[in-house]
Amino acid sequence: MSVLTKAAQSVQGLVAGLGVTMKNIVRPKVTVMYPLEKSNVSPRFHGLLALPIDTEIGNDRCIICFQCERICPDRCIHIEATGKGKERVLERFDIEHDKCCYCGLCVEVCPTEAIVFVPHYEASTYNRQNLLYTIEDLHRAAPKEPIARGILK
Amino acid sequence: METRERPATPVQPEGTLRSEELLLNMGPQHPSTHGVLRLLVSLSGENILEITPDIGYLHSSVEKMMEYRTYTQNIALADRGMDYLAAVTNEMAILRAVETLASIETPPRAQYLRTIFMELQRIQSHLLWLGTYGIDMGAFTIFLWCMRERELVMDLFESVTGGRLHHVYFRIGGVYDEVPRGWTDRCNEFCGYFKKRLDEYHQLLTGNPIWQARLQGVGAIGRDLAIALGASGPVARASGLQWDVRRSHPYEAYDKVDFKVPVYTEGDCWARYLVRMEEMLESARIIEQCLAQLPEGEFRAGRVPINLRAPAGEVYTRVESPRGDLGVHLVSNGGETPWRVKIRAPSFSNLYALAEMMIGWKIADIIAILGSSDIVLADVDR
Repeated sequence: MSVLTKAAQSVQGLVAGLGVTMKNIVRPKVTVMYPLEKSNVSPRFHGLLALPIDTEIGNDRCIICFQCERICPDRCIHIEATGKGKERVLERFDIEHDKCCYCGLCVEVCPTEAIVFVPHYEASTYNRQNLLYTIEDLHRAAPKEPIARGILK
Repeated sequence: METRERPATPVQPEGTLRSEELLLNMGPQHPSTHGVLRLLVSLSGENILEITPDIGYLHSSVEKMMEYRTYTQNIALADRGMDYLAAVTNEMAILRAVETLASIETPPRAQYLRTIFMELQRIQSHLLWLGTYGIDMGAFTIFLWCMRERELVMDLFESVTGGRLHHVYFRIGGVYDEVPRGWTDRCNEFCGYFKKRLDEYHQLLTGNPIWQARLQGVGAIGRDLAIALGASGPVARASGLQWDVRRSHPYEAYDKVDFKVPVYTEGDCWARYLVRMEEMLESARIIEQCLAQLPEGEFRAGRVPINLRAPAGEVYTRVESPRGDLGVHLVSNGGETPWRVKIRAPSFSNLYALAEMMIGWKIADIIAILGSSDIVLADVDR
């Protein structure tokens, strides 16, 4: 290969490379500066679990049917109730979020759509105890705005 | 079976410095082993005499755990416990066994949706492979480009399944939910976009002299040896074996779409690279065809109980995961949980071939060969 061809090839390679650079300068940026700005998640995102308060009945919609506790693959939902039949009273409704694998089977089986996913994904904490969500925590975890329950989006 | 002879340790001439065989321990925390693989490398100078993979650092006893969970719960476990880069393919592997055993028919729409998601998963997995392989070989740009496109696939997944890596989307007899409005258009748009990006990857890598020098002719393995060692997937196809479960034992909608199975005969890293590159293109083509043919109707078979009791019996089924032939042997005694599940993981079988490929190459080629075989250690150990 002569020196001239080599030089021509180098120049061609340089121009092509710079062309790619120029093209990428004008392309829209795809990086999200994460801690400063949050990326948007879809309405179906599997974030934390919550039991939102239904404003019509003033409480959550749980009817204590134990279905979510039974289907959970990691056995991270713990429900205890006293009484029989329709007079059942919820004694304990805990979700261990450190065990939860966010599979969504509990949300699927819930007949009243009482348990839902909320699009909140920053649950890191220094203490493992903080990840045990009691019923009050689960009420508080739900966002203030109404939640789309079972709506196709 | 003709395996390669272990090269003899070179005889040292009289009067020179004494040299001996060196046993090098690579991993399990080496960044380029893509997980926790430990390799015991016998070296003579820089040449590899023998290589022994040591596995078991990521053993999670998934097969045993499956015996204590119902079939529905096993879907969530298969997602996470096995090959974490091909979640829906694992779900399909379990579900194909369960559905065959319990003779459950899936509606056509569910079949097409499953096919679309499995191919999206293949693109996602291969993109991550290409990006990390680029990093291993010192090409950083391709990593960023692959991650950029992979993010789009994950967004497509997230808007349907809610999960980015682990989507418990398939159910016994169908899929969990309908796709959102406008999703099919987004998916179609992505396929067109991705094909153009794939050309860019070829421009960046395929013509690159450094990339060629690192891959061409390195770690070649013949067709007969690949068959004897049980290799499957892109590793076997790069060695000239025409074997793809999607073609030989079609499942879901694979017999209704037209696709090519890329086969190369060289058997080296370069061939494995090209096979995966072509597979991504074929996956995009399959998705486009499925979206065009997507039938209306039910997405889930009715009357499948949550706690399914599969009839007593045993079944062996296989699907094509991004890494190869993923088989599930399921034995049921009629209860709510399987009695025994045996998973034939493609990464584990490809590991045999990996040890054969490396003999006789230099120490720097370990990374090239290891990367090209694309093993996932969670899949090896299970």
